[in-house]
Amino acid sequence: MKWKNGWLSRVLPLFGDNMANNVVLEKDYANFGRSLFILLLILVLTPLSIISGLSHYQYKQLLQKEELTQLVLDIEQAESTIERFVSKLQSIIRFVGSADRYEELLSPDKLEALFARLQREYPDFADIEIIDSQGKQKSYIGPYQLVGYDHTEQQWYQEVLSRGVYISHVFSGYRQVPHFVIAVSRKHPDLEGSWVLRVTIDGRTLQRYVDTISTTSVADIYMIDANSVAQTQPRKFGKLGQVSRFHVPQQVHYDLSKIFPKHDGIVQKDAMVSVRETDQGQEVLRVVVALKDTPWHLVMVKEVYTHGNAWFFFQLRLFFILFSCIIIAVLVILKLSTSITSYIRECDRKREHFLAEAENASKLASIGQLAAGVAHEINNPLSIINQKAGLVEDYFDMTGSFQYKEEMQDALDGIQDSVLRCKTITHRLLGFARHTDVQTEEIEINVLLREVVAFLAKEATYNQISIDFDLDDTIHEIFSDRSQLQQVFLNIVNNAVDAIGKDGQILLSSSKIDQDTIEVKITDTGEGMSADVQRRIFDPFFTTKETGKGTGLGLSISYGILKKLGGTIKVQSEIGKGTIFVITLPVKHD
Amino acid sequence: MIEAKLLIIDDEVEFASTLCQRLCLRGIETAEAHSGADGLVKIEEFKPDIVILDLKMPDMNGLDMLAEIKGRDRKVEVIMLTGHGSTASGIEAMEKGAFDYIMKPVDLGELLNKIQQADHKRSETQHDN
Repeated sequence: MKWKNGWLSRVLPLFGDNMANNVVLEKDYANFGRSLFILLLILVLTPLSIISGLSHYQYKQLLQKEELTQLVLDIEQAESTIERFVSKLQSIIRFVGSADRYEELLSPDKLEALFARLQREYPDFADIEIIDSQGKQKSYIGPYQLVGYDHTEQQWYQEVLSRGVYISHVFSGYRQVPHFVIAVSRKHPDLEGSWVLRVTIDGRTLQRYVDTISTTSVADIYMIDANSVAQTQPRKFGKLGQVSRFHVPQQVHYDLSKIFPKHDGIVQKDAMVSVRETDQGQEVLRVVVALKDTPWHLVMVKEVYTHGNAWFFFQLRLFFILFSCIIIAVLVILKLSTSITSYIRECDRKREHFLAEAENASKLASIGQLAAGVAHEINNPLSIINQKAGLVEDYFDMTGSFQYKEEMQDALDGIQDSVLRCKTITHRLLGFARHTDVQTEEIEINVLLREVVAFLAKEATYNQISIDFDLDDTIHEIFSDRSQLQQVFLNIVNNAVDAIGKDGQILLSSSKIDQDTIEVKITDTGEGMSADVQRRIFDPFFTTKETGKGTGLGLSISYGILKKLGGTIKVQSEIGKGTIFVITLPVKHD
Repeated sequence: MIEAKLLIIDDEVEFASTLCQRLCLRGIETAEAHSGADGLVKIEEFKPDIVILDLKMPDMNGLDMLAEIKGRDRKVEVIMLTGHGSTASGIEAMEKGAFDYIMKPVDLGELLNKIQQADHKRSETQHDN
């Protein structure tokens, strides 16, 4: 992937094009620091988020499975209890309606006595009736007088004849109280057709059973018929005799078949598990199971795990851990990226400094070589001119007076003077190329500075420039080359005087940096220099003075001298405010 | 009055001949040579007491030439002539036996002074022997 010009480089610019151009600006470091921060953050937060997400998912799965398992176990237990109860009722009624007791039960007295015994055991038995093979009621014990009533057209009657047993829905009927019916049909032992024993049972008996098996772990438990009409009174979700309503939520949060597969062995029969939404918008788990040999279904409703404490505290803990990790990661990465950026900036600064030093040294060396060559080549013809002029002068001395002799003598003197000037220039050039050897001696730097200033005192006073000192008296002698240092300080103070022109101040200060190094600062209130001039100030032949007033060698020679003496020179300047030359020198020169 | 015989060895013909002329005008017996090899021949023929020798010549290094001259006759005094103006080169030449060195462009007064000193030294050495 190409970093340049890509979308990634715009989001995470690092050093971008500038790095390739070897020019790194301050904003590039800021970009780099920001990009590094983002990259490291992604690097740390990605696995952290994945781990948290997985934990969240796994724990959710675990809770879902656990709650479903518990729910199904609960409903199976409840189902079994209710089925046993209904089965027991059926058995009793079957026993009462034994085939050979038809005649006996037709007797109201006997039926009443039997019913009284039954009611003692089961007070919820509301009435009992005997129906003959023609569908007509033959005998009845209960609150209503229905003897002779024809049941042949009723559906339940047909059903009981065909199946042998019939259990009705819970309904109110004439009684206006919920009840249900259990009927059994028996063949006449000696007649055609079957007679029917029908018992009406108060619906409260079912309610009591359901209430008994209800626990606090479920939100609701009740019975419904095939049309979802509540057969017992639900605690929360619906009313007895009314259709129990739940909404199917728009988004089901989990796939039950995956969490709770059929082959798991837990859903044994036909339990139907679904996520529903109550009228209040609360999500619940609803399990419905058909009760064997009855028209009823048992319903169990439970609030989903998200409403449980375990899930709440798990989320709270997870959030706390994740939040703490993110805060720690951000702080550590911020510190790390800042440190790395600072380190790179410092390395770059040093590299630039060394490159500039090397470039300067190389430039000085090249120019030095060039200067030496030029000086040498000029020196030879200059020597010839010098000697030729001298020879002519010799002949003049040997010759008597002639016309224009004086003028010619003046011309010869002019030649000699010019040769002398050229000699000074070539010697300076040679001096630039190869400074004289260092001659170390003990120097009191403060005294030396005062001596140098003394050379220029008159000129400074004439130009109303005050020269002040702020010298550290604790600096004792240093070991260095007196005359070369004199040359350096003279150059700089001379430049300061030129930079001020008229009316200003020069301050010379000295101080100790450490045991081995001293610092001299020469500050002027001159016109200052632009950044461009500052960059070129130590270049040979670079001058801002008028033509003929400066050779442009003073500061480059000073630079070379200080380098040779183990010191440094730096310039700080601002246009309109002035310039500071900062010179460091070792206390001892090797 | 300088009585010593002088030989100027310098590859700059004009310089050597002009200097030679000027010294001759001052009554000093002077000869000139324009290369190292020519110089060695002239030394054999002319037998100079003092040699003014250029430090840098195309065919021979001035310091090697100095060693050669001193090898043949230690009594010959050599004044080195250099356009380099290097203290180091001058000092090196003096360490190898040169009497002194002088920088170009040569000031004749200064040169005559050095010749006089060399002649004086030579005379003293002769008297000692």
